[in-house]
Amino acid sequence: MSTILRQHAEDLFAQELEELQKAESGKRPTSWKLTPQSVVTYLMGGQLKNGFEITPKYIGSRRLMEIAVATLTTDRALLLYGLPGTAKSWVSEHLAAAVSGDSTLIIQGTAGTSEESIRYGWNYARLLSEGPSEKALVETPVIRGMKDGKIVRIEELTRIGADVQDTLITILSEKSLPVPELNTEVQAVRGFNIIATANNRDKGVNELSSALKRRFNTVILPVPDSIEEEIDIVQRRVASYEKTMELPVEKPALQEIRRIVTMFRELRSGITLDGKTKIKSPTGTLSTAEAISVVNNGLAMAGYFGDGQLKAADLAAGIIGAVIKDPVQDKIVWQEYLETVIKPRDEWKDVYRACRDMG
Amino acid sequence: MIHILGIRHHGPGSARNVKAFLEELKPDIVLVEGPPEADALLQYATHEDLVPPVAILAYQTDNIQQSVYYPFAEFSPEWQAIQYARKANIHVRFMDLPLTHWMAMKETGGSGEKGVGSSEEAVVIKEEEKVGSSEEAAETKEEEGGEEKERGLYVADDDAAKGQGSMALPKKNPIHYLAEADGFQDEEKWWETMFEHRLDNEEIFAAVNEAMQALREAFTKEDDQRELLREAWMRKMVRQAEKEMFQNIAVICGAWHAPALTNMPKAKEDNDLLKGLPKTRIECTWIPWTYDRLSMYSGYGAGIESPGWYGHVWQHPTDDGTLWMAKVAALFRQHQMDTSVAHVIEAVRLAESLAALRNMPKAGLSELNEATLSVLCNGEALMMDLINKELIVSNRIGSVPEEIPKPPLQVNIEKIQKSLRLPATADFKDYMLDLRKDNDLERSIFLHRLQLLGIHWGTKSLVSGKGTFKEQWRLQWDPSFVINIIEKGVWGNTLEEASNAWLIHQCNEETSLQQIAELLQQVIPADLSNAAKAIAQHIQDVAAATNDIIQLVAVLPGLAGIMRYGNVRKTDAEMVRHIVESMITRVCIGLPIACCGIDEATAGKLTEDCSSINHSIQLLQEKEYLDEWHHCLMKVAYLHNAAPMMRGFAARQLMDVKALTDVPLHQLFYSSLSKALPVADTAAWLEGFLKGGGTLLLIDENLWLIVNDWVQQLEEDSFVQALPLMRRTFSNFTQAERRKLGEKAKNGGRNTVLAQQVQAGFSTARAKQGIPVVMELLGYPVSNL
Repeated sequence: MSTILRQHAEDLFAQELEELQKAESGKRPTSWKLTPQSVVTYLMGGQLKNGFEITPKYIGSRRLMEIAVATLTTDRALLLYGLPGTAKSWVSEHLAAAVSGDSTLIIQGTAGTSEESIRYGWNYARLLSEGPSEKALVETPVIRGMKDGKIVRIEELTRIGADVQDTLITILSEKSLPVPELNTEVQAVRGFNIIATANNRDKGVNELSSALKRRFNTVILPVPDSIEEEIDIVQRRVASYEKTMELPVEKPALQEIRRIVTMFRELRSGITLDGKTKIKSPTGTLSTAEAISVVNNGLAMAGYFGDGQLKAADLAAGIIGAVIKDPVQDKIVWQEYLETVIKPRDEWKDVYRACRDMG
Repeated sequence: MIHILGIRHHGPGSARNVKAFLEELKPDIVLVEGPPEADALLQYATHEDLVPPVAILAYQTDNIQQSVYYPFAEFSPEWQAIQYARKANIHVRFMDLPLTHWMAMKETGGSGEKGVGSSEEAVVIKEEEKVGSSEEAAETKEEEGGEEKERGLYVADDDAAKGQGSMALPKKNPIHYLAEADGFQDEEKWWETMFEHRLDNEEIFAAVNEAMQALREAFTKEDDQRELLREAWMRKMVRQAEKEMFQNIAVICGAWHAPALTNMPKAKEDNDLLKGLPKTRIECTWIPWTYDRLSMYSGYGAGIESPGWYGHVWQHPTDDGTLWMAKVAALFRQHQMDTSVAHVIEAVRLAESLAALRNMPKAGLSELNEATLSVLCNGEALMMDLINKELIVSNRIGSVPEEIPKPPLQVNIEKIQKSLRLPATADFKDYMLDLRKDNDLERSIFLHRLQLLGIHWGTKSLVSGKGTFKEQWRLQWDPSFVINIIEKGVWGNTLEEASNAWLIHQCNEETSLQQIAELLQQVIPADLSNAAKAIAQHIQDVAAATNDIIQLVAVLPGLAGIMRYGNVRKTDAEMVRHIVESMITRVCIGLPIACCGIDEATAGKLTEDCSSINHSIQLLQEKEYLDEWHHCLMKVAYLHNAAPMMRGFAARQLMDVKALTDVPLHQLFYSSLSKALPVADTAAWLEGFLKGGGTLLLIDENLWLIVNDWVQQLEEDSFVQALPLMRRTFSNFTQAERRKLGEKAKNGGRNTVLAQQVQAGFSTARAKQGIPVVMELLGYPVSNL
């Protein structure tokens, strides 16, 4: 087994992509590795005609994935939007892997992302010695995607400054990138498109200009619909972490996962699962990703400091840490929840005690 | 020649097919699925004031709860068939099993006399009852949070719906299997693509018939007595039409029944089956209906979720989504949302790509919706609600000619008027009600309910005297109340049902805690337990969501009063108790924070409210609440950035219950009034501390000592400084209190006045005799003496 900490999607699921390619019969859009239908199957999982099992990558609404894939077949770009931890980057990686067979054309958006990292930069040594030439041009993932007809991913689009964001407008509407220094342009090959992700929780980020917004179809990835769905996600992801992190611990009891997911869902939605009691929501997002990390954290605690079995006490610190993000407001929310919801639940006594001991 | 036209109720495609088919066929009689009792109503069908959506309301005269609605929209195949027949001047008849039999069977069937063969069928009947009670059923279902009213119930065919819709029978809709075989996940979608949205429809009825035949063979539901009866009756009607020498008979029925009418068994079998059915009295009327309510599952048992969209499909069968998107864009622009033509183009294009991805020839509503969401709304579902309300459901309401029989709510109200001997008179009449008498209590409840429904027949006036059991009413009837009654009739068929549903609706619209609490207060005299429960739940929900503890604080005392004392009307105190309990917990957690960073006016109000909470909590005499409350007060008293008035108030309450005594109390008192603090703060603290305490200061030695000691130890210049604050606090006391306080101070702390009162004619021996009685009155065991 390779020692690489995290494999690219197209390498990890190379076999699945290959089988899908073999099994399909429909028409592929130019430069696509799979037909749109197969891309959806790759994301949602399913069984191929020859009995090969495709694992689900995204657990949730099939319709959303269909919209995303359909968008990539039109000339609009795709913007995946949602709370932190709702699998935006995960979906974008797998979409790129399935559509272009390559998820590595990626630009991480930060406040410092400059125009050069989106359009092109210069190799200054070469520029000085030879003057402007094709060779002195440093290509960005965007240029490579345009030339090869591949999907380019931009992470956290809204963190990029507004002026830099707007360089995308020409690329998305004209599908070309002028290079005035060389008096040429790069024209996109069919199959090029952009998947951007952005989260809608953070304030003070750079909202997209309406001109740019118009070039994107937006798909909002929601938090999981049902508790079963969420438990499924947490279980799968926790299992895959255990493998890579080699934690010396027994598999987490489904019951513990269920309790954490229940707590997170209840706090997130502001109502208990039985729909009877409303509660306040904390300021944090309490995404599925956070539930996963709470369980992992608990597993590590149990494995290295506990008796190897996941107990409420191992999880308490993680839970409180995830819930209380704002020391004043969230604390009230948590206390109220602890006293009015957790306390009366008979089979939750251990959680109540563990959490109360933590303060 | 008999032509069976299997349709889906409210399917625009089916309607189009039926219309085209009838126009070509030119039958001489049309039989439509529906209650024969309503045949007489068909004469109104072409009345110019009868504008769909309308519904036929059928109800059992002696039990209005048993009612069924048969709604029709313009795009209902049945409506089109009736319209065609009336315009072509040929016979049209309803041919379903008469409700007179069915409703009577339901009554006897429930008691197990006839027709209940298996337990499974009993469930079906039960489910039917739910359907039968129509409005109420729909409302309560919704309330129970069940998805029952949702899509699950709505199926192409009513019979199938019963199989699937009933929660007790988790069977799949048979059509689902056909859809699945065709690669669809949703039978709705399959039916729509196959039958409703296609334009070339030759032989379509034959195809439907064949498909249903295949399904019926695979999924026989022989055990369903009602279905057998219904189909037998339909065949009977067809035979009768034949007997009457009609040549060209067109039969419009739910697709599921089509095969049953094609393969006619012997007439005798059906007649045997239909022999000796019980009967009851049924009345029918046309009532206006709304698109909104078309989604209800009643009568035909087929609700539709998107009547507006169906209307669109009916009017514009060839639209590829462009026209729909243009409507959406127009709607957005109306609401000040910039929507360019480019947006519309992109949305149509995305909808088409989606349809292609899903292997569909044409974009349906879900594709268009998804495209709208993604392109026009930037993924935010908020705007979809608007589209849903305005376009997909659409707010159309039908109208009904004036010469139509009365609605059931009116019938019910008139019945109650009669039984309570409260005749409706044009002149006014006064009633004095004594709530201790049953009849008067019922009258009062009745009048209160009418009030709640906005039918202001009675005016309540103030009654002299102290009792809470008397009510004075003045009644005067106004003919325009009828309109109100009809309007409120959509909320239920009986007064109780309607006022419950109406209030629940009102309460759900309300978000201010105070308003809701007021509603609760109005509901209690009207004895509406369902509404009261819903309102109580709503109070709880809103209370949970509100961060404004101050709002919460204001509601609590009223509820505590009900909980402790109840009232003449025997309201359920247990229910209130639950609310109070959770509210106290919330208040206790939130109060310390709520005391911080508020201005003086708010602090004054908060202190006022906390004072009544304090009172209520003491009233309830529950140790748990008291502890929680004192714990919370302790926090407030020592919270440095809390409003001083609240801190003073908290300290005082703690002192009263002896939770704070001696040294800590003195420390707190002196530190809060120390010179280093701003004068305004110390003044506010003292005001809070001595709140409402004029008399207490006179009587309570402890309190007197603390304040007195503090004043005495002040040096002259500090005293001069403190004087204005003290004046401010003491000016709130009454004149007499101030005078007595002055006297007390003058006498070195002795209560001259009180002492004199005690002196006058006091006999220890006689007083002792009275003490046991007083103790018993106060609820203490006498043996403690």
